[in-house]
Amino acid sequence: MFRLVSLAWRNLWRNTRRTVITMSALALGCAGIVGLHSYRESTYAIVVHDITEGLIGHLQVHGQGYQEAPAISTVVKDPVQVEAAVEGALPGAKAERRVMGAGLAGAGELSSPVMIIGLTPAEKGESSLHTVVEGRDLSPTASREVLLGRDLARDLGVTPGGELVLVSQAADGSVANDRYTVVGTFTSPSAEFDQVAVVLQLQDAQDFFGLGDAVTMVVVRLPEGADREDVTGPTAALRAALDLKTLEALSWGEILPEFRATMHSKRQGQRVVDFIVFLIVGLGVFNAMTMSTFERTREFGVMGALGTRPRRVLALIMTEALLQGVLAFAAGVLLGAAVLYSVGTVDLSSVMQGDIMGARMPSRIDLAVNHAAVKNAALVAFLTVLAGGVVPAVRAARLKPVEAMRHT
Amino acid sequence: MRRALCLAVLLAAPALAADPKDTPPKDLPPCPSASDNPDVPALVKRTEQLLEGRSSIAVMTMAIQTPAWSRSLKMKVWSKGRDYALIRILEGGPRETGMMTLKREKQLWNYLPQAGRVMKLPAGMLGDSWMGSDFTNDDLVKGNSMADDFTSKVEKTVDFAGRKAWFVVMTPKPDSTVVWGKVEMLLDRATCVPLEQRFYDEDGALARTMAFSDLKQVGWRTFPAKLTVTPAEKGRKTSMTYESIEFDVDIPDDTFGLRRLQSGRD
Repeated sequence: MFRLVSLAWRNLWRNTRRTVITMSALALGCAGIVGLHSYRESTYAIVVHDITEGLIGHLQVHGQGYQEAPAISTVVKDPVQVEAAVEGALPGAKAERRVMGAGLAGAGELSSPVMIIGLTPAEKGESSLHTVVEGRDLSPTASREVLLGRDLARDLGVTPGGELVLVSQAADGSVANDRYTVVGTFTSPSAEFDQVAVVLQLQDAQDFFGLGDAVTMVVVRLPEGADREDVTGPTAALRAALDLKTLEALSWGEILPEFRATMHSKRQGQRVVDFIVFLIVGLGVFNAMTMSTFERTREFGVMGALGTRPRRVLALIMTEALLQGVLAFAAGVLLGAAVLYSVGTVDLSSVMQGDIMGARMPSRIDLAVNHAAVKNAALVAFLTVLAGGVVPAVRAARLKPVEAMRHT
Repeated sequence: MRRALCLAVLLAAPALAADPKDTPPKDLPPCPSASDNPDVPALVKRTEQLLEGRSSIAVMTMAIQTPAWSRSLKMKVWSKGRDYALIRILEGGPRETGMMTLKREKQLWNYLPQAGRVMKLPAGMLGDSWMGSDFTNDDLVKGNSMADDFTSKVEKTVDFAGRKAWFVVMTPKPDSTVVWGKVEMLLDRATCVPLEQRFYDEDGALARTMAFSDLKQVGWRTFPAKLTVTPAEKGRKTSMTYESIEFDVDIPDDTFGLRRLQSGRD
């Protein structure tokens, strides 16, 4: 075995230039796969992080029918019971009560359609969906204070200390209207949110919409280390613990189906890229291996005459191909990783703005090598050398020693 | 234009009956009751002619039914021509009693009693529901332009709610911005008062029905004291009923003033 490998190794460097060129093509292919795949997955990781840690959460519990037709009168009547169900079904998960409704906000002569969001302000150290940029955060209890998205505050011309009037329809159909003090402005992981959101304390929002103790949704966040993207298991567990006649539980992917579908189709697209790399580099390997075996026809004839079995010739040539594959794969991954880490963080804030399906397109992407990308590249490299090497190898193994030795 | 000839007509409807002398104005063409095929645009224009330059004060109740809730509001409406109207909620939810909506030409302002502030309605929200009813803010703002936007034709005479009525089919003119595919209207032959309007969308499905009922004789004019709107959405219905009406009242101009609205007084 060792002999075979050392023989193959020596053969590789009999034509250094050809071997280097073949391996370079394969290495670049691998680097491309690792680079593109990792870049895309790094982007998704950030967007999914923003979605699940932000407004949406991993899972949500609504009143039955809310997802299909959101209405302020479709509520979770007993959030305490839902929280208990979450705790029972998903130990370690966090549940947050939230009130959400559309409305109109006015300040002075100006008014604008808004999304009114009632929540429990995050405690120190907890992640929060809004980051206060001016003024301060909400008081921990009902206080008739509001925070405005930065862009909304600018449009309405209000600053901390100013007054804001909100109007909407309450759960009983009556006109909800009240006056609040603006205590701060914020930014969030969603550009749209910065443009339309008015955040107030949960109790204030419940009073405004006339909800009593009911809430629009209970947002569930899974414990650290849970798979952010695939939450089908936890969704099923939570559904089993809820009364689905009055409630519905949805994963973030079900809440943002378009985004989920976009991710899926982009990933399918990667397979096409992989296949093209396989095809181009595979033909290159095939050509190089054919040349290499053709040049050595007489050598294989001598080997056969000396009693080398065809199987061993086949193994020798396949080992040559695999050695090239392994080396090129390693070089490619190193190259891809080097590029990714040397770029480190991509700042896209100048080229990309706005949201995709409710989540802000990340402006900064921290690049990292994706494990699945490396696996993918390994598979492509392996298949490429296998496909490129097998025909020349079989042909060499089938040579008749007498004829081969006469080959000029 | 979405909901032409509904709330605008209703708000101004008292003015139809608003002639204190029990005779119609001289320049008003008589109702062509005898004709099997009257000129419909002229009929609609006849109504419009009556609406202009008149004023009224009315008290009405609005009952709203939805699958989630039902409620009723009592309100007082001051109107002057088609351009000015003020609505004050007399009885409603605790946070909306005293609420006022002011219409000045194409703009709407709301006085919000709980907030104690006036807010102008942004143009983008004109299509939204007014007070949770099946009327939109747009219904309050838009005037009656049915005669301009539709080609109308009397198809036949039918019996409707015990009355003889012209069955009028109205199709939008090619250059109009109407969202309806077709409107059917039943016009009472005796009084020229509309009895029912059916609005069809562009696919030919019935989108909403507006029924005018409870015909009352006020002065020389018969007018419907009750209007019921039934949208296609199941379980929803809004009806408005007049409790009282006064005609050709002198309403001071500042009733429709913003400063007055800001003070929260009517």
